[in-house]
Amino acid sequence: MSKSLWAAIFLLAGTLIHTQGAQAQTIGFADAIKILSSSCGEDIQKYCKSANIGNGRIQKCLAENEARISPRCKADYAGVYVSLQTRLAAQSVVMNICDRDIRQLCSGVQPGKGHVLRCLLKAEPSVRAACNQAIDDAGYR
Amino acid sequence: MKISRVLSASLVALPLALSFAASDVQAQTQLSRNEIVNSLQGAQNKAEINAADVRAQALQNIHQFPGDNATTSLPISAQLARLRQFNVEITFDFDSDRIRPESYETIGVIADALHTPYLWGQIFFVVGHTDAKGKREYNLKLSQRRADAIREALVTTFFVPPEQLEAIGLGEEQLRDPSNPDGAINRRVQLINVGF
Repeated sequence: MSKSLWAAIFLLAGTLIHTQGAQAQTIGFADAIKILSSSCGEDIQKYCKSANIGNGRIQKCLAENEARISPRCKADYAGVYVSLQTRLAAQSVVMNICDRDIRQLCSGVQPGKGHVLRCLLKAEPSVRAACNQAIDDAGYR
Repeated sequence: MKISRVLSASLVALPLALSFAASDVQAQTQLSRNEIVNSLQGAQNKAEINAADVRAQALQNIHQFPGDNATTSLPISAQLARLRQFNVEITFDFDSDRIRPESYETIGVIADALHTPYLWGQIFFVVGHTDAKGKREYNLKLSQRRADAIREALVTTFFVPPEQLEAIGLGEEQLRDPSNPDGAINRRVQLINVGF
């Protein structure tokens, strides 16, 4: 095979891996909560007429009414809250996972107000894969 | 050339599509999160505006200029209008601060935006407005409770740091379209970036 063909295959493979790597393994807050309204919207309106979304009240109400809510809602609602927690957990580990990248690429950046993270976002091509993945999982990109 | 024309056409079409039921939900969420980020980011320093003062001005406006509808805007409104901001619609039960499930996603999108590093450490007013139907003092209280409910959801369900958010209800004191005081256009939630 010619050199250029190998180069093309290599490039293609790299692109595939890169694309997969950029796929976040968590979902955003909006995408998570959207599952709650689509799977449980009717049940919430039926059984949780006086509950508001904040402070875990809808979750508590659905749990209390688990015998009555629709199978779809029953199957989905707990997972929604897991997804929200997973996104939060992903955010909390970014600085640790990216520690080496920060020291190498953003050492002159004044910490706080998101400056360090924005430096990492700009430096994406030089940032290690694990750190880029952590940034994607946190929903920071 | 052809591609860029198609792209720009779809960019124009997407925001319009937001008000309809969506098939490509993922792309929509991304787009509106970034819309919010782009509209809100760029505050340079702290605007010298205190949430308690804004609330007090709204109440003062009712006492000083009584009547069915507000006739004057708040002293602070010009200053607020100059700040980075974004309007969203959130639906509540009638006469209630209970957020309806169809608006959960909107609050989630706001949370996704506030969690990005572009908006870290900045303080945002969550300002609730009603239309001019009903009593002004009642509307003022209702919009405050609604703004409080949104703030509570952002802070508890979506983990936005509480110190970044101030809830303010302005009732019908700051209509978006004073020529159409009872119109739905006036019912909105404003996010205003008051800086660091």
